[in-house]
Amino acid sequence: MSKRVLIVDDEADIRSITQLALEMATDWTVLTAGSGQEALAIAARDRPDVILLDLMMPEMDGRATLQQLKLDGATQAIPVILVTAKAAAKGDRFGDLAVAAVLAKPFRPLQLAADIKAILGWR
Amino acid sequence: MVDPTLVNPTTRPYQADILAIDDTPENLQLLAQLLSDRHYKVRSVTKGKTALRAAQAAPPDLILLDVNMPELNGYEVCQQLKADPRTAHVPVIFISALGETLDKVQAFRVGGVDYITKPFQVEEVLARIETHLRLQLLQRQLQAQNTQLQQEMRDRQQAEEKFAKAFRVSPNPITLTSLPECRFIEVNPSFLRLTGYSREQVIGYSVFELGLSLGLNESAQDVQELMAAGVLYNREIDLHTVSGELRTWLLSIEQMDIDGQPCALAVASDITERKRLEAEFISLVSHELRTPLNSVIGSLDLLATGHLGQLNDKGHRLVQIAIANAERLIRLINDILDLDRMRSGQVTLRFSLCSLPDLCQQAQAALQEMAAQARVKVRVEVDAISLWADCDRLQQLLINLLSNAIKFSLPGQQIWLRGQLAPPPKGLPGLPGLQLQLQDQGRGIPADKLHLIFERFQQVDASDARQKGGTGLGLAICRQIAEQHGGRIWAESTMGEGSTFFVWLPLQAAPAS
Repeated sequence: MSKRVLIVDDEADIRSITQLALEMATDWTVLTAGSGQEALAIAARDRPDVILLDLMMPEMDGRATLQQLKLDGATQAIPVILVTAKAAAKGDRFGDLAVAAVLAKPFRPLQLAADIKAILGWR
Repeated sequence: MVDPTLVNPTTRPYQADILAIDDTPENLQLLAQLLSDRHYKVRSVTKGKTALRAAQAAPPDLILLDVNMPELNGYEVCQQLKADPRTAHVPVIFISALGETLDKVQAFRVGGVDYITKPFQVEEVLARIETHLRLQLLQRQLQAQNTQLQQEMRDRQQAEEKFAKAFRVSPNPITLTSLPECRFIEVNPSFLRLTGYSREQVIGYSVFELGLSLGLNESAQDVQELMAAGVLYNREIDLHTVSGELRTWLLSIEQMDIDGQPCALAVASDITERKRLEAEFISLVSHELRTPLNSVIGSLDLLATGHLGQLNDKGHRLVQIAIANAERLIRLINDILDLDRMRSGQVTLRFSLCSLPDLCQQAQAALQEMAAQARVKVRVEVDAISLWADCDRLQQLLINLLSNAIKFSLPGQQIWLRGQLAPPPKGLPGLPGLQLQLQDQGRGIPADKLHLIFERFQQVDASDARQKGGTGLGLAICRQIAEQHGGRIWAESTMGEGSTFFVWLPLQAAPAS
């Protein structure tokens, strides 16, 4: 069964591009959410295999969304990859966050799928 | 303002203007002749009333006055002369014939300065006249000097009042401190208002004792610099208010001497709010710029993969150009944000043991392709030194410096990266530390630009940013990293021969506050 990926980003353009990139490179099913709240609902309902979570979002930001995901028994086991446009991502430390990895924007479309596979040990 | 009567008498055609009054024409003639021979101008009158009119019309330099005269006698004439402001200052010498009763006391009481008895000795008369003329001259000189002094005092007082008022009402903090101790001698109300201190809490205490300024080393260095140069303009300092609040001030300081004691007059403006707005603006703008750029880059990348349909060569080249430029914009925004966060202290250093050879090797590897394309050879000769620092940041510093050197080198030129132990640079206390030295053979940096290159957006040539693909922030970031480690960065350069960048870092850097 093909993998299912949930992309969470408040920017519709970024959602489209990321979706296009992943669909182009893989046979994964790509779900999208435009806000933290939407992400929580979809995650609980569809149980994706991984969540790509944007850090900077209005209202409920990436950190708050992550916290909720980890609190909910239905979603706490889903690996989360943080995506951040913050400058010099390597200068930022996310050691305190229970995330599988942190990816910096902008990402190379084809590289993104490869990165996700490498992080999660998918073949 | 020069009193015409003070003009040196030798410049006049006569020595002095003397009014002689005697009711005996023979006496008068004799006296007039005597004085004229000595180059005095003499006006002779025989009556007291005529004498008063003559004196009032043109006050003489001296009056010779007979005591015994009909109608108005000498005393009365003298009294009237002294009562009139026009003639009051003219010295009067009484003349009286032997045998006449001369009331000497009366003569002085009515304002006479001297008396002569007839028959007189010519030399004595002349001597007395000379003496009184000279006394009169001196007195008037004194008076004039006195008037001038009073005027100067008034002027100075007015100037001081103006300054005192400016000092008092200025919205800018102004301080007067002694040098080199930086003890407060005087501060204005704005200083007290903005720092929260009371006058008693600061006067007599030093900047250091009060813990006003952060970075004591830097203050001490500023003092040295001030005493050497006489002025310091636009020095940005951070200081603590009495409640511990952090404010940023921009200082201009001038050295002056007060009673032989060197002092510093400092005028400040509080730029805390300006800086906060600036930082907010930078971060807002950067985020708003970056979000659409990420979409642009993502879309271009997808086009470039060819999965959506193959582009022809020209189309492919155009997409590559668009990607390269969008990435440059992202780099610029990242650098602005990075520097801004470092400057505002939002980035704390993560200290660990860093091996210099490893750092250099990694930096060299990261730029291998760039160096190869530019056909520039990078030679690394570093000692096996380890230091306690933020390895990621040092890596960033090395890569910035190296890529700069490569950018400004011509094909075939070489770059040397050396690292060894060295004592701290002038002005920094402490033990020997690591000194990095990056030497290129590039075009060099003009001497008047050397101190500017570590400021934001200060490329030697404004077109460099475009031609060399730089952001104009690389060296500013390097400086920030070096200073955060308690180190320094500086450069030396010879036009046409190349530049050498120096970075000195303590081996055991404590995290900067």
